[in-house]
Amino acid sequence: MRKNLLMVIPLTVLLCFHAYSEDYKASMFGIKSNGTTMNTHSIQKAINFISEKGGGRLVFYVGRYLTGTIQLKSNVTIHLEEGVTLVGSTNIYDYNINGTTFSSLITATKAENIAITGKGVIDGQGRDLAYNLLDQVQKGILKDELANDRPALRRPKGIYFRECKNVEISGIMVKNAAEWVVVCDQCENLKIDKITVDSKAFWNNDGIDIVDCKNVVISNSFIDASDDAICFKSHDPTKLCENVEVRNNVARSSANGIKFGTVTSGGYKNFKIVNNKIYDTYRSAITIATPDGGVIDNIFVDSLYAYNTGNSIYLRIGARWNKGRTGSMNNITIQNMYCEIPNSKPDAGQEYEGPIEDLPRNISPASIVGLPGQYISNVTLRNIQIVVPGNSNPTYAYRGIKPADLDSIPEMPAAYPEFSQFKELPAWGFYVRHVKNLNIENVTLTAQGKEYRPAIVLDDVQGATFSEMKYIEPGAAKKKQVHVYKSTDILLKK
Amino acid sequence: MQKLFLKIFLLTVLSQGALCAKDYNASLFGIKSDGITLNTQSIQKAIDFISEKGGGKLKFYVGRYLTGSVQLKSNVSIELNEGAVLVGTTSIYDYIGVNNLKALIMADGQQNIGITGKGVIEGQGAGVIEQITKQIQKGYLKASIAQASPGLIALSNCSGINIEGINLQNATGSFIAFSSSKQINVKGISIKKPATKESKALVLKQNDGIKLENLFIETTEPEIQSDGQSKNITMVNCKNASGKNLMLKN
Amino acid sequence: MNYIHKIKLYFFLLLGFQLSAKDYIATEFGVKNDGITLNTCSIQKAIDFIHENGGGRLVFESGNYVTGSIYLKSNVTLQLNYGATILGSTNPFDYVKDKKIGWMSMIFAVNQENIGITGKGTINGRGFTTANNMVNYIHRGVYTDPLKYDRPNETNRPQNIYFRECANIVITDITLRDPASWNQTYDQCKNLYVDHITVDSKSYWNNDGIDIVDCDGVVIKNSYFDAADDVLCFKSHSAQHMCQNVVVDNCVGRSSANGLKFGTVSRGGFKNFKVTNLTIFDTFRSAITFAAVDGGEIENIVIDGVRSINTGNVIYLRIGDRWSSGKKPYMKNITISNVYAEVPLGKPDVGYNFEGPIEDLPRNVSPASIVGLVENKIQNVTLKNIQIVYPGSGNPLYAKRGLTPAELDGIPEMREAYPEFSQFKELPAWGFYVRHAEGINFENVTFTALKKDYRPSVVLDDVKNATFSGLVVNEPESVGKQQVFPYKTSNLIIK
Repeated sequence: MRKNLLMVIPLTVLLCFHAYSEDYKASMFGIKSNGTTMNTHSIQKAINFISEKGGGRLVFYVGRYLTGTIQLKSNVTIHLEEGVTLVGSTNIYDYNINGTTFSSLITATKAENIAITGKGVIDGQGRDLAYNLLDQVQKGILKDELANDRPALRRPKGIYFRECKNVEISGIMVKNAAEWVVVCDQCENLKIDKITVDSKAFWNNDGIDIVDCKNVVISNSFIDASDDAICFKSHDPTKLCENVEVRNNVARSSANGIKFGTVTSGGYKNFKIVNNKIYDTYRSAITIATPDGGVIDNIFVDSLYAYNTGNSIYLRIGARWNKGRTGSMNNITIQNMYCEIPNSKPDAGQEYEGPIEDLPRNISPASIVGLPGQYISNVTLRNIQIVVPGNSNPTYAYRGIKPADLDSIPEMPAAYPEFSQFKELPAWGFYVRHVKNLNIENVTLTAQGKEYRPAIVLDDVQGATFSEMKYIEPGAAKKKQVHVYKSTDILLKK
Repeated sequence: MQKLFLKIFLLTVLSQGALCAKDYNASLFGIKSDGITLNTQSIQKAIDFISEKGGGKLKFYVGRYLTGSVQLKSNVSIELNEGAVLVGTTSIYDYIGVNNLKALIMADGQQNIGITGKGVIEGQGAGVIEQITKQIQKGYLKASIAQASPGLIALSNCSGINIEGINLQNATGSFIAFSSSKQINVKGISIKKPATKESKALVLKQNDGIKLENLFIETTEPEIQSDGQSKNITMVNCKNASGKNLMLKN
Repeated sequence: MNYIHKIKLYFFLLLGFQLSAKDYIATEFGVKNDGITLNTCSIQKAIDFIHENGGGRLVFESGNYVTGSIYLKSNVTLQLNYGATILGSTNPFDYVKDKKIGWMSMIFAVNQENIGITGKGTINGRGFTTANNMVNYIHRGVYTDPLKYDRPNETNRPQNIYFRECANIVITDITLRDPASWNQTYDQCKNLYVDHITVDSKSYWNNDGIDIVDCDGVVIKNSYFDAADDVLCFKSHSAQHMCQNVVVDNCVGRSSANGLKFGTVSRGGFKNFKVTNLTIFDTFRSAITFAAVDGGEIENIVIDGVRSINTGNVIYLRIGDRWSSGKKPYMKNITISNVYAEVPLGKPDVGYNFEGPIEDLPRNVSPASIVGLVENKIQNVTLKNIQIVYPGSGNPLYAKRGLTPAELDGIPEMREAYPEFSQFKELPAWGFYVRHAEGINFENVTFTALKKDYRPSVVLDDVKNATFSGLVVNEPESVGKQQVFPYKTSNLIIK
């Protein structure tokens, strides 16, 4: 609680600062609203000018403002009035593709007191931009490996702030980046409020990426993205994401709703994720992963509602790019969660649907999977309801509960962590492996059709308490729904 | 020693042969993975181009590739990597028929062709059936539902066919049809979610040399429809949805 | 003018026929108006169905319909309702290069009759994107084209409409926009009726407004053209055919090339034209260019009522010898009357997309010209009630062509050159230059130069039988200047 108070103070200071600053109209700097004039240099001049004069707001009024990369400077707010669209150029050479930093439409490095506010729109035109980049690669002008047949380097993000302090992004809509949409990297005191991210323009369109940031609030926002919607990352082993609050957001994704990772070098500490909704999402409602040696501690998830998502919860320790570090995940609480998993593809019909992979498998369970000797510890799941379709077919894909079957599930330490990575798993509700001190309370698991698998499989679990559990599966009143293997101190109450 | 020499010689020749068969990324031909761009003509252009250049692989990576009927040509194989989905359009007039067969991927009189990889061919059967039914009701389409239903793969008068690894789903017509073809290998594929009870997993007419291995088939029985005129059929580990081993005489 | 009457009667009958035909709604065939779905196959199916079932109109209601190449069939009319837009696919591979025609197009018709495209909707080729996509495929080696002038050959870029050997065609009310090549070509067609159409097309090179090639029986009226290349363009690709019996009435055009043009390809010829009430503005080259450079015959052309405002040139008549293949071209019996024209000092099409190319420098403002060949003169041209206002200010230090025999004879014949009013660079007159002609009749003609020019108003070179009656020349500071300069000219009468 005290932590939250601490976070509120810098934000208040930040808001006061903005209220005193001077406004500059975009037209002062010859910035044109006709949608075809390239404004990159005029906008940059405006930002530099305002910053040098001590700060203020650069205000855009109704119109379309075409631009390439612009760099925000200290004490400058870009304010987009309702009806404004800041339009990204579709020419890759209008972006900062040669720098040491990620390329992006709006960028800032080591700036303080910066903001993007208003009810306007930032449209990256990312699909055409990515096609333009691809074309330059196809012609041999730019070099790129074209992994998965698309450019891996240079695709501009929407917003990329690095090492900035006192950052606010509020009110605006950010659309159609060529890659991640809103990214804050090693920033402190960050407020993202009431924004809309609508981005299914190309691959890797993560909605919001928070990388190694301190004191973050993401609230009241709507995210519809083709890749992970609200995503926390840690690129730097000496840094981590900490003191983060995620509240009252609604998200849809063709990957994960809320995700920790994939790149997790440092880690994540002290998170409060409260009252969020995830819908029509291809992978997990929430994935917390540390595949690269990061430390995860003290994550509190309350009131998470997931409708039509491919998976509910996936917690995972891996060992992919560890470089001598050992990943850990401790003190995870998820409570008051409701999740419905469909039989069909949850993101069918969306642009850039998630890829069908890891076949053959029947519907995958929620999973908590550590590594041998590297346990995920102190996990509490409380007041949770998960509804799955059932109807698995053992001829199509089969994983039994004999020791040989269970031992045959690969550990996959170096693999990309995704709920489906093990292909067929032996449970329909929860699969738990390499976990210490698991506390499951008042959890109801419903299978709408018959299952050949039990609801829960525990493998190498040291200490687990189950209380007030309910299993609903047609024609399976007497089925043994919990299978325990190589585990100790398992207490099944009621 | 001489044997070894011969082996090396053979290997060299073989690997050179393999070198001739070039790989082409789908994006080179402007084929889009956004799931909404109809790629028919771009894919066809790619196949024609690769065939004219002596053959090779047309490689699709993760993404959804919408298309109507395309014609596979000699020495071209389509590789659908994991995550790649070739999506059949629900617009029924984008399917064309050759030799009374109508399908998403067709070939007639071609040699050495393939469809491989861990990807998916998605027929969007429900949408296709809906369109066909509407068009018949309106009187614009003069055919039965069965006649108008496109399959996923239909190959006739071909030799040297390799279909491996892929997942086929939601076909309106038959999933795979072979007629008057030779040297057919189908290995490790899954056939799921037939859009109608009539959707057959395999339709065989007058072929010579078919090897079917490790198939999972979810269509209604009989899963394989044969005119009884195909010769030299081998089946290994081909199972239906209830786990029964599929058998085919002759 | 009997043929005009015939044409009108015929179209009356045709329209009557079409009213009785059945309407089919495009979306009923599964055609989508979402602006995304590529509808080529569904639209083709609809056309084939209507064609096979007695004909009718395929109606596109308000919405955006994307398509690649489709073929119109007999007795089918595409009706584009207000708000309906046919959008060309931006993927060049979605277009067919028709084997018989040798061009790419969105809407083809070959050997069909009773066809039309009507309604207040739009056809938008989105040619800029398509052409640029084509350029990219060529660079990647996927499509073969020499990229002459750094762009794909015009036959490798789709037009909006290409009809060949069709009869009884009605094109009314539609708007045509932005193809990657010419907008609409009617080639060896009979009975073409174009009324109330709008062409707005400055999206790529060679964006001609309308191309009529070797057609017999054509009416174009009440239409508006704004195009990057020639707007009303008559061509003759075949030495065995020609454009004849043509009426153009009440049309307005803007071009970064020519307004009304015969040619450039002119193998067969052009006969029996009546063009009335024509307005050309902001046009880079000539309001009117007739070119017989490929052996074609031009005869019986009446042009009455022209307003030409802010055009680089007014009249250019030219016989050349480019691709004649032994055929002897001629041009005779041309009447141009009731013309008011203003030629500016600056570039008339400045600011428009795909502005015309600046070329043939140095030269002062070029005069209207009639230029035949030594052995092959342009005959019987009457210019009546003509007013042309020029900027004058010809500066001999910048470019000079004087009146000495050496200088006049020094003007090259350029028999094989592409015919354009500026081709000779500096000419020795500021108002009118006539060479190798016979029977030239100027009646009530006024030339005005707004500023003094170093050249005379009119130069005649190798002209037989020229009559000027009521010639008025206005030029500041030029009292006593000889404004008509004859050279090697016989039987010149100035009344």
